[in-house]
Amino acid sequence: MSSAEQSLAFERLVRPHFDRLYRLAWRLTGAKAEAEDLFQELLVKAYGKLDDLVEIDEPGSWLCRVMYNLFIDERRRFARRRLHTVDEGQLAGDGLEGLPGIENPVLDNERLERIHELDKALAQLSNEHRIVVLLHDTEGYKLTEIEELTGIPVGTVKSRLHRARARLREILIANGTIS
Amino acid sequence: MQNTDTNRQDQEILELLKDYPMPAADTAFYDQALVRATHEGSRRQRNKWMLTGFGAAVAGTIAAWMIGGMLLNDPQLPDAGLTIPGVTMALAEPRTINLVFASATALDSATLTVSLPDGIELDGFPGQREISWKTSLNEGKNLLPLTLVALTPVGGELLAHLEHEDRNRTFRLLVDVT
Repeated sequence: MSSAEQSLAFERLVRPHFDRLYRLAWRLTGAKAEAEDLFQELLVKAYGKLDDLVEIDEPGSWLCRVMYNLFIDERRRFARRRLHTVDEGQLAGDGLEGLPGIENPVLDNERLERIHELDKALAQLSNEHRIVVLLHDTEGYKLTEIEELTGIPVGTVKSRLHRARARLREILIANGTIS
Repeated sequence: MQNTDTNRQDQEILELLKDYPMPAADTAFYDQALVRATHEGSRRQRNKWMLTGFGAAVAGTIAAWMIGGMLLNDPQLPDAGLTIPGVTMALAEPRTINLVFASATALDSATLTVSLPDGIELDGFPGQREISWKTSLNEGKNLLPLTLVALTPVGGELLAHLEHEDRNRTFRLLVDVT
């Protein structure tokens, strides 16, 4: 295959999964720059394995697993504590204004406040708990899908989910977001 | 009764989580990522940041330590050490502080090193006194959230050292533990 043909073959395999992969990258890292970094890193790695990739039945799931493993292997590099721009919308209050909202400005403001508090609460969870709760409760992954993605047994995933929710409840009650 | 409350609270949290936003990728990002991946093993896109100043903020509020649009070692820069912002935190309770870097120009491949006082740890980096990132800064404000945990009631001075080519600057944040 010529280089152009290789590029085309690669694009055909990976492009259908871009939105899913980008969402995963964002949920893992929690910030735009790191999500883009992780996404880019994945593509570079996947391109180097094009010969394997063409043989895989479910390239989307494979790519998700590779992305997760990349994140775990280099989690310090992709940690959400790294710099990110204020206008990314990653931190509420400093960038959420542009989010799609509702017509009523009062309610919209309340929503932003609550998202802001949730954002802060999630930041207090461990990576393991934050990722599980975001994948399951926000992204709608099933427990078995999280097991497949992370290699963590369903029982452990369930227990992390339970603990993550309990901790979120504790934080959000303490700061008055829920009562 | 307590179970009813817990169920209602869990439901509320679930709704909040379902509503937790995530900005879409920039329009051209996917195309650019493909091009980069297929050219090389590839030049990474990690440095998209820039720099010029520093501030400290607590709980999402930007504090009064912004220095913008100047070179790191510009003699006209106010001495960061003269106006040291501070943060108070409780023992053993994680607290997120936001360091703010404001920049007028792009600075690629800057190195940011955070040095922690004894007894203060960065959540997720147990036992480490110094953590470095290779990064660069975007024009405008760049935020670095750090979740700190105080293991002793001593407190001290957190240093953020920025280095870009032959220029560098150190910023200070006083951490008080109650």
